[in-house]
Amino acid sequence: MSHPAVELDGIWKRFPGVIANAGASLTVRPGTVHAVLGENGAGKTTLMNCLAGVYLPDEGAVRIDGEEMRFSSPSDALAAGIGMVHQEFRLVPTFTVAENVVLGAAPRVIDAAAINRQVAELADRFGFEADPTRPVWQLSMGERQRVEILKALWRDAKVLILDEPTAVLTPQEAVELGKVLRRMVAEGRSVIFISHKLDEVTSFCDEATVLRGGASVATSVDIATVDAGELAKLMVGESSATPPSPRLATPGDVMLSVDSLTVMDSRNLVAVDNLSLSVRSGEIVGIAGVAGNGQRSLTDTIAGLDVATSGTVSIGGVDVTADPPRRRVERGLAYIPEDRLGVGLAPKLPITHNAILRSYRDLRNGPLLSWDRAKAFGRELVERFEVKVGREDLPMASLSGGNLQRLLLGRELSRDPSIVVASQPTRGLDVAGVAAIQNLLVAQRDAGTAVLMISEDLDEILALADRIVVMSEGRIVGEFDPRVVSRSEIGEAMMGAPT
Amino acid sequence: MSRLVLARREQVVRGGQPLAFFVGLVFALVLGAVLLVISGDPVIDTYQRMFERSLGSADVLSTTLNRAVPLALAGLAVSIAARMGLWNIGAEGQILFGATAATLIGRIGADWPGPILIIAMLIAAMLGGALWALGPGLARAELGVSEIITTLMLNEVALRLIRYLQNGRWKDPEGFGFPNIEARPDQAQLGAIWERAHLGVIIAIAVIAAFAWFVNRSAWGYELDIAGASPKTATYAGISMRGKVLGVMVLSGAIAGLAGGIELTGTAARLSENISNGFGFAGIIVAALALMRPSGVALVAVAFSAVQVGGLSIQTLGVSPAVSAIIQALILFGAIAAVVFSTYELRRVERKVAS
Repeated sequence: MSHPAVELDGIWKRFPGVIANAGASLTVRPGTVHAVLGENGAGKTTLMNCLAGVYLPDEGAVRIDGEEMRFSSPSDALAAGIGMVHQEFRLVPTFTVAENVVLGAAPRVIDAAAINRQVAELADRFGFEADPTRPVWQLSMGERQRVEILKALWRDAKVLILDEPTAVLTPQEAVELGKVLRRMVAEGRSVIFISHKLDEVTSFCDEATVLRGGASVATSVDIATVDAGELAKLMVGESSATPPSPRLATPGDVMLSVDSLTVMDSRNLVAVDNLSLSVRSGEIVGIAGVAGNGQRSLTDTIAGLDVATSGTVSIGGVDVTADPPRRRVERGLAYIPEDRLGVGLAPKLPITHNAILRSYRDLRNGPLLSWDRAKAFGRELVERFEVKVGREDLPMASLSGGNLQRLLLGRELSRDPSIVVASQPTRGLDVAGVAAIQNLLVAQRDAGTAVLMISEDLDEILALADRIVVMSEGRIVGEFDPRVVSRSEIGEAMMGAPT
Repeated sequence: MSRLVLARREQVVRGGQPLAFFVGLVFALVLGAVLLVISGDPVIDTYQRMFERSLGSADVLSTTLNRAVPLALAGLAVSIAARMGLWNIGAEGQILFGATAATLIGRIGADWPGPILIIAMLIAAMLGGALWALGPGLARAELGVSEIITTLMLNEVALRLIRYLQNGRWKDPEGFGFPNIEARPDQAQLGAIWERAHLGVIIAIAVIAAFAWFVNRSAWGYELDIAGASPKTATYAGISMRGKVLGVMVLSGAIAGLAGGIELTGTAARLSENISNGFGFAGIIVAALALMRPSGVALVAVAFSAVQVGGLSIQTLGVSPAVSAIIQALILFGAIAAVVFSTYELRRVERKVAS
């Protein structure tokens, strides 16, 4: 009997404060496309990094063709025939396609013409269209991905791991990718396809392993015999819905309204597609959805950090679509961005600098900034929102994740906003941090603020939201009442399964 | 297997920086001594001359201070831009164009009283430097064009402009056919304050002190810090990155331009291709050695100036210009190494071995 191409057996991987993999297993037969499914944070990427030699697992076995391996670097894994295409490409933009493909694995004597020919032959064999002499910076994201795949094939990878490969592709490019994968498995290679899009998995893959909370909840499921709804249920779990916390205020006027909003992303693809949404004072509207379905473009456009292609954003009944971020803040908007350290805070600067980011204009004496008042402001914020800090002149980055978020949220709430847009407000926080942030949001709603919350954590949405909308591919694909909806109904809508 | 890597020190050693500079200087002088022995020059005499002719008497010290003025202002210009992550490599061109603009005012106001003419010339120099940085600032703010490239290229343009003026429109009619620009009016001479040192020293100290204070105390300086640390965070906070980039580039250019104006009214008699002497480029080194802190550029500029003045003086002993240049460079390397080693240390790490 032939051995499985890849066998991961009871993999554990812990990071400080987080268990990324808790006994995950995976078996990939040669000549198949194997899907690894799971919500964000389910441990998919960590598991693949354990296979590709990026991490060494704390426990568990990695077997390739039945032989136990210990990879301490990606080059070890590559030598054993495991190639990985990461979400961020690792290409030299000024090099040509062929130069990138052979980089680090070129023959001793470099004959450019011969290498170009060999790369072209390799591409042809797998049904790629690739001009080996074109510089990579001229290529589209889809074409760059092909170069990454060619790199692995040039090194004769027997197993190719693709981490969310379709995230950067247009739908047509995704179909092309599917054909290439078929040719690869026809040669007896195996492909591991990480995704959270059910429709792709059902059309491209033979078998699937589902991860939830770092462990495998289903292994080697035959795609042909299972329907998308069942996979969605496996991914999100079956635990009963938590009823939302009872609200004290009754919803009042519409504070935030988004009408027929369309936003393009940096690749000029539609990120938000003709979306309309409104949030009233005294309610929490929760947007559920898998990451990368336009949530970030939506919230950034509401805050004025991204530009609407068409449609409008109104705050308190006033059209602010053309207003800069500062004007919107003055109208009562508070924004907790998804990327706290990159957008919401300046991690290298002292805590005081970060605390006064929204209010420093009020702390001026003429052109001068009153640092005494700034420090007092920072200390008050730290006390009121129970942020654990050392000294206030230490860099922001010295705080733990939960305390960073408390300071950020506290800073935004300190201006008594009428609208709070909170993107992934509790992601990555420990239990105490999650509770503190959620309590602050609920208290804000009960005080009559309109709250728009974006979260990938369904439990959080179910527990906090008064109204749930599901976002997929830039559109709202469903609206639910959290008191009566089941997790799997939301899960299916999130995964784009037909409802 | 193990290898050496440069790693950030976990805690800064107290008094480490002066010590590091001292060790760096000693290293440089020892290496320089080896070089002098090879070239057949007297080691002790050379070093003695170097010190005597840069710091050894009031007369030479005041010359050193004069030379430190453009270095310090160029260093300030570079460090202000660097505070928000911009590289002004064009201080040289801004100095040249600043001096050119001041010369223009000198020609217009040839019969104005001295103080008024000097003030007008210095303001013109600042406006000229600002104008020279405006283009790169606009290109960076509006189109994202790298200011490193544009400011660098404009250096050459400013130089060619002076070359054109000295061969053409501003050529001195009494210059016996030599391509010289007419001398500036005599009354446009900055007064002496001590020995050879002129008023420019006071102006430079005042400008640097004002900036060091303003950057640390003002809302503008706070916005600069945020914009430099994280452009996305600045946009989020409602700070206009375009406005900041443009403002900082123009300000940086104005400070460099002022250096050109002070050179013209303090040390030089006329505008020429050599009026800047590479001060704009040396300013980058001054700013780097001052760790991009406005408050540090003055001291570093005086030390840098002393090395240059002293280094030139040893040529009068018969030391070849090449050896003199190498000794100056060695001292600079020592200082730069000192900066590196006061924040970083060499650490031995085990190399990962595949098992």
